[in-house]
Amino acid sequence: MGNMKIKAKVKGDILKAKVQATHIMLPYDAAKKKGVDANFITQVTGKIGDRVVFDMSTSQFLSKNPIFKFQIKADGIKKGDKLEMSWTDLSGKTVTESKKIKGLK
Amino acid sequence: MDRRKFLGLGLAAVALVPASLSAVNFRKEKPDAWTAHNVDDAIKALYGDIKPTASDDVTVKAPKIASNGGAIPVTIKSSIDAKSVALFQDANPESAVAVFTIVEGSIIDFTTKIKMKASGSITVIVEGKDGKFYSANQKLEVALGGCEG
Repeated sequence: MGNMKIKAKVKGDILKAKVQATHIMLPYDAAKKKGVDANFITQVTGKIGDRVVFDMSTSQFLSKNPIFKFQIKADGIKKGDKLEMSWTDLSGKTVTESKKIKGLK
Repeated sequence: MDRRKFLGLGLAAVALVPASLSAVNFRKEKPDAWTAHNVDDAIKALYGDIKPTASDDVTVKAPKIASNGGAIPVTIKSSIDAKSVALFQDANPESAVAVFTIVEGSIIDFTTKIKMKASGSITVIVEGKDGKFYSANQKLEVALGGCEG
């Protein structure tokens, strides 16, 4: 299993996505107490093919193993298309995973 | 090395790095927004000296009493034709929580979970394509502060 749980389903003319990333999301305060570097996801992007469908700049204030739910209009999405999610964190690490979109005929 | 050439090379290198197709990295572009200690400063750092109007077309929903300050579900909705949506809170050392870039076909209905150290209020600013800014906020109580990791 990868780092992220990605669920993407088309209902009617809307694509609904729910993504959970595995990440410690350690804010500066807590990191200082533990004597380690802060590390948290700073950017989350979602793409279907070349189309950017989700783009969020984030901070140390998202929960540990953060979840993101979003919706977009489904026009142009075809059966077999995958939702590709990427996140980057403060340390520069990037994780990219994708999942086939369900609900398409 | 010839200074001018070196600078020229540097510029060329920057020009070649493709901006990921319309994804805006607010963390890179507006670093001050993420270190601002209060909501007004964070808004100013992100959007400039704007005067957002409270709008019914922007809703932010979070539980009025959050039992776990480390995982507070927040849902933001809006029917405004927007360019970006920003979420702030005033209970943590820094105020900016997240900024969503609104892409073509996006429906503004986002949910995520955030941390708040203490009770406070969350503010959402929607940057409309019309150049105006709209806001909504909600106060919430936090039973157990959430920044301890």
